Amino acid sequence: MKEETTGVFFDGESAIPQEVVLVFDSTKDVLAFETNNGQQHCWELNDVTFEVKSKKMYLEYGKDPIQNIKITDSDFIGKISIFWKNRGNQSWYQKLMDMGIKAHIGFTVFIFVIIGLGYFYAIPWVGEKAVIIIPEEYDAHLGTTFFAENILFNNIDVEKTKALNLFAKELNLKNTKKLKFTVLDSPIVNAFALPDGNIVVYRGILKTMKNYDELVGLIGHEVAHVNNRHSMKMLCRNLSGYLFVSTILGDANGVMATIGDNVNSLQSLSFSRNFEHEADVQGFEIVVLNKINPKGMSNLFKRLQDEEKGVVNIPEFLSSHPVTTERIKDVNEMIKMKPFKFEENLKLKKLFLEIKN
Amino acid sequence: MEETVQAKTDYQLEFSGKGSEFFSVIIVNWLLTVLTLGFYYPWAKARKLQFLYGETSLNGDSFSFHGTGKEMFKGFIKALLIIGFLYGLFFLFIYLKSPFMGIGILYLGVLALLPFAIHGSYRYRMSRTSWRGIRFGYRGDRKEFSLNFFKWLLLTICTFGIYGSWMSINMRNYILGNIRFGDVEFNSDGDGGDYFMLNLKGYFLSIFTLGIYLFWWQKDLFEYYINNLSMSKDDKEIALNSTVTGGDFFKLAVVNILIIIGTLGIGYAWVVTRTMKYIFDNIELEGNIDLNLLSQTEDNYKDATGEDIGDFLNLDFVM
Repeated sequence: MKEETTGVFFDGESAIPQEVVLVFDSTKDVLAFETNNGQQHCWELNDVTFEVKSKKMYLEYGKDPIQNIKITDSDFIGKISIFWKNRGNQSWYQKLMDMGIKAHIGFTVFIFVIIGLGYFYAIPWVGEKAVIIIPEEYDAHLGTTFFAENILFNNIDVEKTKALNLFAKELNLKNTKKLKFTVLDSPIVNAFALPDGNIVVYRGILKTMKNYDELVGLIGHEVAHVNNRHSMKMLCRNLSGYLFVSTILGDANGVMATIGDNVNSLQSLSFSRNFEHEADVQGFEIVVLNKINPKGMSNLFKRLQDEEKGVVNIPEFLSSHPVTTERIKDVNEMIKMKPFKFEENLKLKKLFLEIKN
Repeated sequence: MEETVQAKTDYQLEFSGKGSEFFSVIIVNWLLTVLTLGFYYPWAKARKLQFLYGETSLNGDSFSFHGTGKEMFKGFIKALLIIGFLYGLFFLFIYLKSPFMGIGILYLGVLALLPFAIHGSYRYRMSRTSWRGIRFGYRGDRKEFSLNFFKWLLLTICTFGIYGSWMSINMRNYILGNIRFGDVEFNSDGDGGDYFMLNLKGYFLSIFTLGIYLFWWQKDLFEYYINNLSMSKDDKEIALNSTVTGGDFFKLAVVNILIIIGTLGIGYAWVVTRTMKYIFDNIELEGNIDLNLLSQTEDNYKDATGEDIGDFLNLDFVM
C-alpha cells in the first residue's frame, strides 16, 4: 500500500509549522517526506507512535528532540488506522477503548456486580477469617482501653457491681474468657460487652427488668458477643470494607466514593444485626443450660421495645441493638420449638433484688 | 497555517473532548484498576491526563501529556515508601507510649513534604506537557520555594490565618511565574490584599444571600486568577482574560449536580467534559507573541515522585 497526503511537520526545536507531503509506504514500512530545507526524512514505522486526538492524527518520532506530524485528512487517518490494526500493532489498551460504548457499559455493569459480590460475600468472609490471625491479647488490650475511656464520665455503682458479679458467678456461661461485670450509675437503658470480657450494664436497663430471668437473658446475650469475638469481627469487617471501597472507588470520583461509603455503613449495620441474632440464639442456649425460664429474654425485649417508644434517651441502644419485633418473634419461636426445663432459683432471685433495688 | 503577523494575533483555546469518549477512558481505567487490585492506578492516571490534555488545543493544535504510567508508578513506589516511613515512625512512637510525639512527627513530616510535593509535581507535570513538540517547564528553585513556603506558613499561623490570602497568592505568583512555555515566560501578579478583600466580600455576601452568591464568588476568583496571568517573550506579551459569569457557573453547577444524581455518578465523565469546555471557552488570549516562533528551551524531567506524593496528600493542582 502506498498512500500520499499532506501533513504539518514540527521539528521539535521550534513551533514553526511546515507543510509537508507524506508518502506512506507499507511495503517498505516507512513514512517519507521532505522538509523545506530540502532534507529527506524517512521514519521507520515501528518507531513512530500514532495517536488520534480530536479527530486529528498525531505522529511522533525520535527521542530528543521529539518530532511531530499532524494529519487532518480523515480519509488517510482511517486507512492508516485500519492498516495499523491489521498489523496487530494496536495496543491492548486501544483494543479495549475501541470496543465501543456498549461494551463499556457492559464493563460498568460487570464492575458493579463485582462490587456487589465483594460486599455481600467476600468482605464478611475476609473479616471473619482475619479475626483468627489476630491474637486474643489484642482483644483484651482493645477492651481495656475502651473501658478506661468510657468509664471516665460515669460512676461505678460498687454495691450493685459486686452483686451482679455474684449473680453471674451462679451461672454457667460457657465462657472462654474471664468475665468482669460492671454496673454504671446512669439512667441510660443499655448494656454492652467489650472484647476483653468486660460487660458493662447501665442502671437504667436494670430498672426496667421485673424478674431475674430477664437479667440472665441479657447476660447470656452479652456473653455470647464476647465468646464469639463479635467486636473484633466487626472491626475487621469495617476495616476490610473500607479497604475494599478505597481500592475499587479510589480512581472514581467523589460521588461514587460517597455512595460506596454509605453502602459500607449500611452493610455493616446488617452485619451487626447478624451478630445480634447469633448472640440471641446462643444467649438462649445459655439461659436454657442454667434452667432459667427463657420467657425472660423475650419479656426483656418487649420491655425494651416499649421503652423505645416512650423514652427519649435510648437511641444508643437503638443503633447497636435494634430490638425489633423480629427478634422478639425469633425468641418466641425458639421457646416453642426448643425443649427447656426451668426451676426457681432462689439465690439468683435474692441477688437480683439487691441489684435492682 | 497562520500568517506571521507582528500586530495583534488571535489565539483560540479550546476543549473538544466528548463525554462519551471520556466515559470510555474512565471505565476502561476503572476496570483495569479493579482487576489489578489498584496497581493500574498510575497508568490509569496517565491515560486520563493524556486524554484531557490531548483534547485541549491552542490554535488547532492539541496539547500532549507525555507522562507514562511507568514513570508515575516509580514515583508512586517512592511516595509510598516516604509516606510509609512517616507512618512507621508514628506507630513506633505509639508503641513507645508517646503518642503525642508520634502525632507531632507525622504532622510535621507531612507538612515538610508539602513544598516538595508541590515543587516536584509542577516540575514533572510541566516538563511532560507540550504543544507542537515544545515543552512546558517549571524553573522554580526547590530550596527557595520551601523556605518561602515555611516563612509564609509561619506568618499565616502567627496572624491566625489572615495571612493565608497572601500565602496563596504569593505561592501562585512564585509557581506560575516560574513556568515556561518554550521561551515564553508566564507571569502572575496577584496581590494578597486584593485577594483577601475578594474573599471577605464573597464570604459575607454568600451568607447574606443564603449561598446564592457562591457562584459569583467563584466567578470573581476565577476571573482574578486568569486576569492576573500573562505570558511574555522579550517585549511581546499575551494577556489572559476571563469571560465567565456567575450566572453561567450557577447553570453549570445545577446541571452537573442533576447529571451526577440522575446517573448515580456514572455521568461524571460528562460533568468533567462540559466543565472543561466551559472554562476553556471562556478564557481569551490576546497579544502579539507569534506562537510559530516558540523554541524549545526546557529539559525533560521524568521523576514523578512529587506528583505522587501530592496525590497521596490529596493536593489539587493550584492551576
